[in-house]
Amino acid sequence: MKPRPFEYLAPSSLDEALGQLAERGDRARVLAGGQSLVPLLNLRLASPEALIDLNRIGSLAFVEEREGGIAVGAMTRQRELERSSLVRDRMPLLPAALRHVAHFQIRNRGTVGGSVAHADAAAELPALLRAMDGHVIARSARGGERRISAGELFDRHLTTSMSPDEILTEVFFPDLPSRSGWGFHEFAKRHGDTALAGAAAIVAIREGRIASAAIALLGAAGTPMRALRTERALTDTAVTDDIGAAVQETVREEVDPVADVHGSAEYRRYLAGVVARRAIADAIERAPR
Amino acid sequence: MKTIPVAFAVNGEPVEVSVEPRKTLADTLREDLGLVGTKLGCEHGACGACNVLLDGHAVRSCLLLGVQAEGAAIETVEGLGRDGELTRLQRAFRDHHALQCGFCTPGFLISVTEYLRDVDAPSEEEIREALSGNLCRCTGYQGIVEAVSSLLGEEEAP
Amino acid sequence: MTRGTLPGIGEVARGKWVGTRVTRLEDPRVLLGDARYVADLTLPRMLHVAFVRSIHPHARIVGIDASEAVAADGVRAVVTGADLDAHPLEDTAVHPTLPKTPQPALASDRVLWAGEAVAAVVAASAHAAEDAAERVRVDYEPLQPVHDIDSALAQGAPVLHGHLGSNVLITDRRSSGDVEEAFAEASRIFERRTHTNRLSAAPLETRGCLVDFERSSGHMTVWSSTQTPDLLRWTLASVLDHPHHRIRAVAPDVGGGFGPKMSTYPEEVVVAALARRLGRPVRWIEDRRESLLTLNHSKEQVIDLEIAVRSDGRMLGMRARYFSDSGAYSFNSATALIEPQLAAGLMPGLYDVQAYEYELTAVMTNKTPIGPYRGVGWTSGHTARELLLDEIARELDLDPAELRRLNMIRADMLPYRSATGLEYDSGSYEESLARALDEADYEGFRREQARGRDEGRHLGVGISPYVEPTAFGTEIGEQSGYPYSSHDNATVTVDPAGKVRIAVGVCSQGQGHSTTFAQLVGDALGVRVDDVEVVAGDTERAPFGLGTYASRGAVIGGGALALAAGDVRTKLLRVAAEMLEASPADLEIEDSRVAVRGSPEAALGLEDVAGAAYLDPAVRIDGEEPLLSSTRFYDPRATFSNGCFVAIVEVDLDTGGVTLRRFTAVEDCGTVLNPMIVEGQVRGAVAQGVGAALLEHLVYDDEAQLITTTFSDYLLPTASDVPSISVAHIETPSPVTVGGIKGMGESGLLASPAAIVNAVLDAIGPHDPAKVELPLTPERVLRLAGRI
Repeated sequence: MKPRPFEYLAPSSLDEALGQLAERGDRARVLAGGQSLVPLLNLRLASPEALIDLNRIGSLAFVEEREGGIAVGAMTRQRELERSSLVRDRMPLLPAALRHVAHFQIRNRGTVGGSVAHADAAAELPALLRAMDGHVIARSARGGERRISAGELFDRHLTTSMSPDEILTEVFFPDLPSRSGWGFHEFAKRHGDTALAGAAAIVAIREGRIASAAIALLGAAGTPMRALRTERALTDTAVTDDIGAAVQETVREEVDPVADVHGSAEYRRYLAGVVARRAIADAIERAPR
Repeated sequence: MKTIPVAFAVNGEPVEVSVEPRKTLADTLREDLGLVGTKLGCEHGACGACNVLLDGHAVRSCLLLGVQAEGAAIETVEGLGRDGELTRLQRAFRDHHALQCGFCTPGFLISVTEYLRDVDAPSEEEIREALSGNLCRCTGYQGIVEAVSSLLGEEEAP
Repeated sequence: MTRGTLPGIGEVARGKWVGTRVTRLEDPRVLLGDARYVADLTLPRMLHVAFVRSIHPHARIVGIDASEAVAADGVRAVVTGADLDAHPLEDTAVHPTLPKTPQPALASDRVLWAGEAVAAVVAASAHAAEDAAERVRVDYEPLQPVHDIDSALAQGAPVLHGHLGSNVLITDRRSSGDVEEAFAEASRIFERRTHTNRLSAAPLETRGCLVDFERSSGHMTVWSSTQTPDLLRWTLASVLDHPHHRIRAVAPDVGGGFGPKMSTYPEEVVVAALARRLGRPVRWIEDRRESLLTLNHSKEQVIDLEIAVRSDGRMLGMRARYFSDSGAYSFNSATALIEPQLAAGLMPGLYDVQAYEYELTAVMTNKTPIGPYRGVGWTSGHTARELLLDEIARELDLDPAELRRLNMIRADMLPYRSATGLEYDSGSYEESLARALDEADYEGFRREQARGRDEGRHLGVGISPYVEPTAFGTEIGEQSGYPYSSHDNATVTVDPAGKVRIAVGVCSQGQGHSTTFAQLVGDALGVRVDDVEVVAGDTERAPFGLGTYASRGAVIGGGALALAAGDVRTKLLRVAAEMLEASPADLEIEDSRVAVRGSPEAALGLEDVAGAAYLDPAVRIDGEEPLLSSTRFYDPRATFSNGCFVAIVEVDLDTGGVTLRRFTAVEDCGTVLNPMIVEGQVRGAVAQGVGAALLEHLVYDDEAQLITTTFSDYLLPTASDVPSISVAHIETPSPVTVGGIKGMGESGLLASPAAIVNAVLDAIGPHDPAKVELPLTPERVLRLAGRI
């Protein structure tokens, strides 16, 4: 299983990379961590004419505290984010979810930007970004840079709304709302496998009622989705023992999972409700009252 | 096919080869450098037989291109021993019957080398979770888990 | 150190090595990165092969245009079936009614499964070969495929092999005892259909072979990731019309075999033919996608089982029908009988049931041909029976352990002749069951289970006692209705320096033979294991042998070695006696020193004795061959191992996830050479059983296309999926084998899927047995529990 031949470009600056990408358009693919792309190359399921390797652009790897959150350079390795004490202290939801991304050897190389740009509906980082209402920065040779919110970014299956000549340079994870708690659950056949279903929940509680709820689901649809109807139903609800069951029910109704050899749509739908219930329960537990 | 020169270090020795860009690091090590200790079990990143250390971190060499190793320090299984003597890690594998056919062993040794450096008092479940990125078809993993456990909390490097 | 002899037949020494946990002599070179599997071997001017494979499961080949491929960069040749110089592969079974299905090495007029090779490209690199393979244009006329047993047997189904007349390769029936009476007498009859999942042995090293051919001498050397180098050599000689004595076949380090690496594959024939044609070394390494698609598949059977029981749960009789989904060819290594015949023959297991009739049918389908995989057909038969036994226990409100104990062959009934003619030589059936239940704390578990139910936790237990035919000598082969003769030869030589070299046909794919054989011979000759070199897997350096499969290594290889070592010991002692002026009966050898018992100062180094044997005429006697070497043959009597597994699981009925909490194994394989290695074999096989029960499935769609073609879809158990497995040993030596040794290695996969599946069903609680589908994925668990 060897790749078909391709032209290899190793730009040393972002501008150089953008220029190369602009020139080649969709004849070229950007190579970040390679943990998703190289298997496709080896299996000959992808055969770009050119590969633009971003790994020599040092300026794309960083983890920075900003006002309102943490900015992560696109080429930051997932493992670095997972083990960062800054991130662990400020938004522990991230390392909790990252633990489920494949295996540490994959995370040693896989990048934060790469995972977000790959836009797999069953992946952890895109769902986290949606749950946290984060955004990315995309740059192109023609148009400078623009900010794309998580909600606008994931509009199609395994594709983002970025243009073919854009490169994702930064991912911004906003701080969780004050007085909120978080929960993350996923279920896969084996540890590290693609989630059959997963949920990231962020809940704020005020005076015994849900002040805000964000629930992002993994593997529940063609794109990483927010359970908007469930969130609306939860908002302003009293925090009681029945919430879990109610969440399970409403999430089941609003998802539209895709079946494959690992699970039917019906099973995934059921599972989505289960993981959402568990994530909400943990979020409520963690939320200061 | 056009080849690109790439210079890096393997097991402490500088090397220079010229390879097609599509050639993976695994194939580069095995074919161009004759270091066949690193094995190929799947070529899509699932089995871990191809693990090498890249600047100290375990990575799938089947998912890296050879040309991407430019300037890097690579360690393979051949670099883990000391002049033909087994290290404590290798002795632990032998003593706990952590290998049978041996095909997965180099990949495990690489993964465990990084793991032992980073970990702090894991439970058996945590050890198994950390090892789940390497497939073994022969041993049922118990010998490997026991070998790793026996090395935990040791002061010296394995 | 007390010296004694092992039980069984023959004088086999037990000293400081046999029975001890010697760490493996093979390990250092593997750990230091020096192991060499076939993909690690290179030769000057070596070329690489890539295969062009059919994308259709059933089609006529209208034409093949290789012109673009031939012209591609780095390509040296492209060969198709039409210009390949080779006869088709055919099994060598001697069976009265089993038809053969000759399999061409490269399909030429039609393809019978998606993945069948139709052409081979030889190029300067694997990359170039793969590139060029994509440019071979094959014009197919697709035909209707048959994707499963039902469609293969349906009226009007396309017939895969015309000479069979239908897609039934063979049907066989057998009846013993008075089955009609048993069923008439029964207070209840239980029946169940079990469809076992199609599996791949998926060794971590895929297949591969490197063939070198020297034109000037006509000598061909074949390195292949094989379990059977002598058989490979023989088959190649026959299929390629090449002089047998000019072929050398070598199994280098092999990264797992498990059954499907028994020769001979079409690819091995093609690579050898290419090397011969080109006069250069040619190498092919299977990739993982190819492997899942073209390495023999295994285990898929549909078994309809009926058991007639008395009101107390005593089984009175059995009736069974076996349908095996055999794939497109009756593969030459072990034929399509490997699944249904062996399942049928062992269905009564270790239970005392003499009234039993069965019918088996091997069905041809447009899928990958099946072959042996650890536990062969015994796994599916055992699973079918044990699942039904638990169902019976539930229906009759009997404890499943007690139901099994009630029906077991008792110790005083051994040796026991089964309803199918298998002669169980010895065993510890009830003892193993009791020991396993004790080690697993079965009583304690039932209490834990009850408490768990109150807390909303779903715990379950599965008990799986087994008897296992081992070693596959000729006798057990005949008893099994499995027509292959089997034996092995081994040579033991002490060299002039007093070091030992053993050469044996049984080669290793990870079983540690180099160590266990060194232990056996170490005790036989009184030398340290590091003074023993083991040569195997090379037709040039080891005597003819049938290779490694069917748990034969320790019995057949070990037995032949023990016999040969005994001969050499006799010669050594005779020479030493001469030199020490003592009687051979008064001498002992320990750590390479020969001494008069009780007089340690009257001693000689073994190197002195050996040196004299070779070079000092004064110690020779008339009529004795002075060379310190012996080659002996061994074809063992039928011998059976046994044991019992207990699996304890917890099921999450919200997700369907199954966690294995505890797994207890009791293993009785007679005389144990190295308990550490036995434990490793049990654990490895049980891990494969975890995969079989919960994770692994080769899934075909309705168009006979394999969907699960990578390790992302075919899921092997990881360290997180396999629990710690406790292994307790019981040693009931065989009374009929050399040293009392029995084979082992397959029981883990023979009996653990049933233990795990039954544990999960026990955890789920009431369910519809007809809805049990294997493997028990989380989704299926939830369906059985009625959650979806």
